[in-house]
Order: sequence, then structure tokens, then C-alpha cells
Amino acid sequence: MAASVDQPAGRRAGWWGAGGRGAINTRQVVTAVLFVAILVLLGLLAPSFFRRNNLINVLVQTSSLGLMAVGMAPVMIAGGIDLSIPANMALGAVLGALFMGAGGDPVVGSLVMVGAATLVGLLNGIAVAVLGMIPFVVTLAMMTVTTGAAVWLTHSVSLAGFPDSFFDVLLARVGGVPLSVYVLVAAAAAVGLVMNAAPFGRYVYAIGINPRAARVARVPVRAATCASYALAGLMAGITAVLLSARLGSASANMGNDGVVLDVVSACVVGGISIYGGAGRVVGAVLGALLITVLSNSLNLLGVSYYLNLMVKGVVIVGFVALDGLRRPAA
Amino acid sequence: MSDAAYLSMRGLSKSYPGVVALRDASLDAWRGEAVALMGANGAGKSTLMNVLGGVTAPDAGTVTIDGAVVRPRSPREALGLGIAFVHQELAMLPSMTVAENVFADGFPTRFGMIDGVTMQRQAAELLGRLGCDLPTDRAVETLGPGDRQMVEIARALRRAPRIMIFDEPTSSLTNREKRRLFDIVGGLKRDGVAIIYITHFVDEIFDICERATVMRNGATVATSAVARTSPAEIVHQMLGEADSGERLADPSAGFGPVALEVRGLSGGMLRDIDLTVSAGEVVGLWGLLGSGRTELVRALIGLDPIEAGTLRWRSDDRLRPVTPAGLHRIAGIVTEDRRGEGLLLPLSTRANLSLASLRALLTPLRLVDRGREESLASDLIVRLRIKVSGSAQAVGTLSGGNQQKVVVGRWLATKPRLFLLDEPTRGLDVGAKTEILKLTAELARAGAAVLVISSEPDELMRICDRYLVMSRGRITGNLSGGATRADLLAAVSAAPSRMATA
Repeated sequence: MAASVDQPAGRRAGWWGAGGRGAINTRQVVTAVLFVAILVLLGLLAPSFFRRNNLINVLVQTSSLGLMAVGMAPVMIAGGIDLSIPANMALGAVLGALFMGAGGDPVVGSLVMVGAATLVGLLNGIAVAVLGMIPFVVTLAMMTVTTGAAVWLTHSVSLAGFPDSFFDVLLARVGGVPLSVYVLVAAAAAVGLVMNAAPFGRYVYAIGINPRAARVARVPVRAATCASYALAGLMAGITAVLLSARLGSASANMGNDGVVLDVVSACVVGGISIYGGAGRVVGAVLGALLITVLSNSLNLLGVSYYLNLMVKGVVIVGFVALDGLRRPAA
Repeated sequence: MSDAAYLSMRGLSKSYPGVVALRDASLDAWRGEAVALMGANGAGKSTLMNVLGGVTAPDAGTVTIDGAVVRPRSPREALGLGIAFVHQELAMLPSMTVAENVFADGFPTRFGMIDGVTMQRQAAELLGRLGCDLPTDRAVETLGPGDRQMVEIARALRRAPRIMIFDEPTSSLTNREKRRLFDIVGGLKRDGVAIIYITHFVDEIFDICERATVMRNGATVATSAVARTSPAEIVHQMLGEADSGERLADPSAGFGPVALEVRGLSGGMLRDIDLTVSAGEVVGLWGLLGSGRTELVRALIGLDPIEAGTLRWRSDDRLRPVTPAGLHRIAGIVTEDRRGEGLLLPLSTRANLSLASLRALLTPLRLVDRGREESLASDLIVRLRIKVSGSAQAVGTLSGGNQQKVVVGRWLATKPRLFLLDEPTRGLDVGAKTEILKLTAELARAGAAVLVISSEPDELMRICDRYLVMSRGRITGNLSGGATRADLLAAVSAAPSRMATA
């Protein structure tokens, strides 16, 4: 080591992020081992998993969960949480479906879904960033409000009756892979780029690491926090469009409580710290893939839905424990 | 009384990444006596007491009680050794009753349930020993600070401690409550308790302490019998000798035009502050702990709210009104809490250096230009001689002096015309202190208006062109750059009672 260096060079930050990009940490090892274990188990017990149709099915399922996880990632990195993402997604889908059901244009109808969800996200952002409310409570309340609105608007029935052109575009396949998978890749790449290289991303990490220091350093804490929730709403809106096309209907139940759990799990499993300040968008996508594969494989193995829930819960607790281990004692 | 001290702390050291909190610190306490523990903020008093209280494990050194070496590893273990803390009212559970607060760390039980009757009776007995007849079923939040203090002391007494630590017990008490507290301390001494009394009020120790131990920069600098010392000598010991070096910039009188003008600023503890700072001028804010100097700097840039007053800032050759948020956008600020408010510890040195300048580093696509970011960081690393393995090294792993250079460097990159520095050299070694002060002087030479706070008069004297004296939220004096150390200390001592800087 050079004489001018007064600290061990072993602990290096990444380009600017925490933890080091090249470094391999416990969590990544655990994730990889878990993933390989699931695949090996599937190969032995349920080879039908590897059939082309099922793999594509897994990717499509990953796309909705992944998009919502991509929306959750900046919120969690900034030290917050948005529990209302799936419920917000469902309300957006319902509003768009009502619009199109009344003969509205499918493009405008899709924009209604995206716009409504973004607006709800923005309201979350204002409540948290400007009014200083607790994210957990605000978004939990917002989840209740949006679910209630969706149930009320639909009388608890699924709304079908989308125009054919809506399906023609959104269910199109390119190279055999459905559009929604490409949308996930594009969204993850865009948000990942913003988080890595745009000032907004820097601000979000800074706020998650230390909001007081961020404020002193002229980081626009309120605006960036608010924007992170609006972005989560935007992702919920895009998910609403793709998911209602895939299901052929929109209902309040699209964003049930189980989905919230999946979104949070995807982020936590993907290495986004529940304490804020650390994690990457691509991790959230990989987390979504792992969670989807886990669900899908347990399904194929004929495991009951309830046991499936228990397994997912245990996985989350395990990864949160790893998150706590990584976090240095204050 | 025996000759050997009942409690003896010897050669204690403790370092954190970037900060040396204790270096070879010692403290002795005798049963039936009170020893005052004095020192400026950051002198190491809290760390030393945290070692005794089992909160902090020392890197080196020993603690002996009654001749036996002890190593408390938790507050509970410390309690078992007969060590009790009386905190500054912050350890209370406000909505719970007096009795519940006294017994919060172990309720008396009967058949597994809290025995309310016994608890009330014992709490009343403990308070009675303090000459205090508070209703034990009152909620603590309805009590005044003096009565809360009694509850806190009763809680400490409950374990029949042999060593009691009072941490600034009088800071929110009235004179009458203070008298009562002193009587209680006297009573505890008669009961054979060894007392460690932490305070910033020098006069108090002459009332109730037998000895005074003074700490500075993490080390014990003097222990004397109170009967053989004086307030002036103790203040002198706390602030240290004028040995920290010669002036880095001669005070001058010829500056540019007034850059910042503050009129009638009030808010929080600040009252009716008027001040001006000229371009190229270094103004030292000199005052005691709680004088409002930190609050003033924070209010100027909107970190704390203000209630009244006008700020004007020179732009386009005229003084124009500006909001605190507006000043924040043009000012560089180094807060006193480097790790809590200055740095993003897990991030790289580069990211910390560029954080305030990101908008100036954008590509046409509004992304941060990594090439320019890297050159900004490496230029600053070279210019400030920051010792790092590379710009990617996490800033939390740097030494204190290098961390502070990163904070200063971040603002240098924004080319600020106003620089606010609150204790910029705290916890740094002599070399690093000088480098930070040199940078400050250079900034002023380049035309920046500088306001700097330090608890060490000798440091201010190395760079300041003028001093503003603060006391109780007001500006009470204005000293020229030629003021001597004695002038500065006199300005401080003139303020009634509160003698210690911190």
C-alpha cells in the first residue's frame, strides 16, 4: 500500500454507491444459492417448469411484479416505503377500464390508467415530503382509500369489455416474447440509469443515507422525495395497462394484499435496504424474478397456496435479517 | 476517608474512525467527595462517562473500583457495580407517573404483576430522602424541570449507588431548585457516595465540589483541589495554552463592500441580531455554549426557522433582500456535526465532493458527466491534499482531518462567496487544524465573506479580521482583529455565570 494512504484500501465504495459494485456480499451469495437450489429442485421434481411456455409465463408474471418493484426501489432507497403501489395500480386499471368500457379510446384509456396512478403517487409524495407524514401510515391509508374506491366503482365485479385494439398492441409478441417483458426491461433500464447517473438518483441515495446531511448539502430533499413517490405511481400505472390487457379485465382484486408483500419481497430479496440508502434497480427486477419463480415452482410442485405464502414470508424475514447484518452498528 | 481513590480511571483511550475521543484520560473519585469534570464540548467528558457507564468499551486503560479492576460491558452491569447516572431530564417517560419513572428499569412485583402499592410507597420514601413530597401518581410531563430532576435522582438512588454521576444537572433549574440540588448532593456526600459532577458553570464547582478534573481534546489536563485553584485558572486549563501557532493571515481593515447584512434577526433563542460581513473578511463568532452562535449560523441559511429580521446579500453591486433558503443556495456551510450533517459516510469521496455541484456537471442528456465529476474530485483531492487511496474510497473510512477536508472541498467546488464554518477544526489534530484554517484564510483572500465559530480562541486569532461576541442569543460586543487572547477571554468572562466555552 502506498505510504500516502492512511486507510486500508479494501473498503471501497462503488462509483459512488455503497457496498461496492464488484464486491460480493453475503446476500448475493445467498440469493444465488437459493436460485440455483430452486432450479435444481425443479429439474428433479417438476421438469415441466423448463417448458418454453412456462418460462415465458414466468417472465410475463415477473413483468408486472418487476415493474412495481422498479417503482418501489427509489422510494425504499430514499428511506420510505409505498404500500399503496398495487392498490393504486388496481384503481388506475379500473378507471381506465370504465373509460374504455364507455367507448373511450384505448390510447386515452391507457393514459387514464397511467395518469391516475401517477397522481395518487404524487399525493403520497406530497403527504410524505411536504406535510412530513410517516410513509408507512400514509401509504397504508392510501392503499385502503384506493382499494375502497376501486371496489366502490366496480361493485366488486371484474370489468371486461376492452376494445380489441387494446389487446392487439399490448399482447403482441416480439420474437415470441410478450411486449410486457420488453416494457419491464426498458423501464428498469431507464429508472436504473436515472438512479445511477442523474442528479435525482444521487439525491435519492443521499436522502436515504442521511437526510440531514443531504439537506445541508443543498439536496432538494422535498422535491426528490416527492418525485420518488410519483415515480412509484407512474410504474403502478404502466403495470395497470399491461396487467389489465393480460387478464382481459380490471378489478379491485388485481392489487390485493398478497401483491404488496411480493413487491416488498422483490426489493428486499433484490438487495434494496429497508433502512434506505443502498440497493440497485436491477436488484429489484432480479428479486421479482426470484419471487415469481419461487411461487411458480411451488405451484408446479402442487404445494398449497397457503404454504406458498408461508414460504415467501420466511424468505422475506431471512433477507431482512441479512440486511440487518450488513448494516454496521451505528 | 482512605487515601486511595474509590474509583480510579487510568490511561483510557478510545478512537472512532476519523476521531480520537479519548487519549490517556484519567479520573479519580473518593467516597464522600464530589469531583467536578470540566471541559469544552468534544473534550471527551461524555466518552469517559460512557466508559464508566458500560456504554462504550475503551481501546486501552483500566477502571478500578475499590481496588478491583472492572469492565462494565452494559449499563446494567455498571448499575450492578453501584454506578448511577443522573441525566439531563431526557431519560424520562413523560406520560407515565412519578413512581413508574422511578421504577422504570425494574418494577416491584407481586405474583408476577406490578405491585402498585409498594411502588408508590417506595417512590415516596426515596423522594422523601431528597426532602421532596411530590405526589407519586402524577404524570411526569406535568412537572417542572426541577421536580423532574428530583424524580431522576430518586431513580438513581433506588439502587443505593456508591458512585453517582450528575450530567449538567443545573442547566434548566431555577436558583431555588439549584440550592435544593446542592443540599441533596451534600447529603449524598455525607452518606459516603462518590460524586462526579459535570457542569459548564465554573462557579458551581466552588460551592459543592472538592476537586476539579479538566479535560481537553480527549485527555485529562489537570486535576486540582478546588480550595487551591480559581475560576480563571480552570477556564485557562479548559481552553488551553496559546501554543497552537502563529497567525495565518494578518488582520486587516480594508475589505471589499459589505456582502451580507443582517438586521433585527430573531427566532428560537436569537434576539435582535445585527451584523455585517464584507467580501474578503473573516469574522469570528465568539461566545459560550448556548450563546446562540451555532443557532445564528443555522438560522442564516434556513436550517432553523426565523421569526423576524431582514437579510440582504450583495448581488450585481447592490445589497438586495434574500431569504435564508436563498443564502443556502450561495453559501458553503460546514456544520459542527461532521458525521451527522456533513458527510454521506458510506459513499465515495468523489460522490461526497461532487454532491453540491451536480447541476454544474450535467451532460446534454441531464445526466451527471462522470468524466468531469472525476476530474472535479481528483482536482480537489490534490489541491486539499486529501489522503485517500483513490476517489472511490468510502469517505467513512478516512481520518477526521481528511473527512473535514472533503466537507470543505465540496463547497469549494461551488465557489461560494459566503462561507459559514461551525467548529471546523473540532476533533482534528494540530496539522489538520492548521490546514483547515489556512483554507479558510485563502477563501477570504479570494473574496469570500467568512463567518467562523470556534471554541478555541487561539484558532480564531489565527485567521479572524474581526470578532462578534455572542451571549444569550444576542450580539454583545464587537472586537477588532487586533484583540488579544485576554480581550477575548474577558469578553467571555463578562457574561454572568456561564463561563465555559463549549
